[in-house]
Amino acid sequence: MSKTINKSKIIICVDMDAYFASIEQQTNPKLRGKPIAVVGTGHRTVITTRSYEARKYGVKTGMNIYEAKRLCPDIIFVIGNNEKYTYTCIELQKIYLQFTPDVEIYSIDEAFLDITTTHHLFGGPEAIGRSIKEKVQNQFGITCSIGIAPNILLAKLASELAKPNGLKWIKPEEIDSLLEDLPVEELWGIGKSLSKKLEILGIKTCGELKRTPVSILRSKFGIIGEHLKSIGAGLYDRPLIIQEKDPKSIGHSMTFPKDLSSREEIEAELLKLSDMVGRRARKHCFVGKKVSLTIRYPDFETFSRQKTLPDYTNHTHEIYKNTIAILNDTKLKKSVRLLGVCLSSLIKDNNQIPLFEDKKKEKMLLQTIDQINDKYGEFKIIWASYLKHLEPPRVISPAWRPSGIRNITIKNTQKK
Amino acid sequence: MTHIGEDISVIASFDRIYKIRPLKFKWSGRLFHIREVTYTWLIKVGQKNIYHFSVTDGASLYEISFDTTSLIWKLENIDT
Repeated sequence: MSKTINKSKIIICVDMDAYFASIEQQTNPKLRGKPIAVVGTGHRTVITTRSYEARKYGVKTGMNIYEAKRLCPDIIFVIGNNEKYTYTCIELQKIYLQFTPDVEIYSIDEAFLDITTTHHLFGGPEAIGRSIKEKVQNQFGITCSIGIAPNILLAKLASELAKPNGLKWIKPEEIDSLLEDLPVEELWGIGKSLSKKLEILGIKTCGELKRTPVSILRSKFGIIGEHLKSIGAGLYDRPLIIQEKDPKSIGHSMTFPKDLSSREEIEAELLKLSDMVGRRARKHCFVGKKVSLTIRYPDFETFSRQKTLPDYTNHTHEIYKNTIAILNDTKLKKSVRLLGVCLSSLIKDNNQIPLFEDKKKEKMLLQTIDQINDKYGEFKIIWASYLKHLEPPRVISPAWRPSGIRNITIKNTQKK
Repeated sequence: MTHIGEDISVIASFDRIYKIRPLKFKWSGRLFHIREVTYTWLIKVGQKNIYHFSVTDGASLYEISFDTTSLIWKLENIDT
């Protein structure tokens, strides 16, 4: 961790305002200016985003619809349209790339831009920020908040301070005075639980955090003690992650609308998840040597078991067979709320031609299925065993990105 | 939203600013004048590109789509 702030660095954080809710309000004029919440389908759904009008009533992300209705009786629930949100994120990235090639899409509604070497071409950092806001508004009719600062920690803080629909530039000479009395929980990475622990030590503000001896922070928080002291001073030298690194694992999980209790249902879902994992590994040319199965019971007790394979694979049935082997060794105590399948210990697939005829045929079959699905769309050809259980993924994972291995086709949550 | 999924006839402009902009559509023998295109998004189904438009005639909200491979317009959903 660097001990001083690189004053020449200029980072922009673009944070969309109530992203999903704003898109829905833009789509449907009748929703504009009203308290709305974007939800999924099914009785287990929770609020994924709420409009600023709903926030005034205390409606929060993660609340169930009954809690939200109690706080805001006039709230309108809108079923989310994932295809719209992911498409918009891809288009937003194109806007950011007009100003710099160094763009990190941090999440579906947040991005960091390093404009250190390009801002002079566009009239300076503030002009870039205003231009992004204008382009987003003109193209999509939604708003965003812009934070500008010498690192991503402070840029994120600036965007939060600018919300909604504002622009804030934290210049190097303003950092100390801004942070002195700022509550620690305002900093990116300090949540409620950590801020409570800090409060026990008498640390409420960033200024107090900065002045606390590192030995005290280290003895209380271990390895992150030094990091906490640094962020209290606004120091953060994580570079932007522009090029996606090779993944360590490829996994899919699914929470079911209804808990699964029959073996047949569980096996069908595991085949579907294994197929999704295998398909993604094959698409991005990875093979893995470990398969793991995650199970969550209705009371949220969650556990994972893994198995090391004799050889590297990305074949759907190899993954499925080993997932079933793990399941066979597991005594299920209750019905199942969530299942997850993951392939890890990944290496790049050198696409070696199998020596034996049956393996060669299996590989050709998978290649043909993949080619058909590439041409006509996901799940056009599927394994018959899960035909009647077919339901595509319903939520956008926080790990979703507009390109690369974490770009997953996310179907709509709306029932047609 | 009520799902319709029927083919429709559309008058649209294709230009540099709006790219594709539906102006009017005909469904069940009735002509609908589009007052505002409220949102546009693209869905890729395999190699097919399907543009979706949320449009309003001032009274109701419609979702129409345009398949750039088959050149077919559809009325997908209506929200009255």
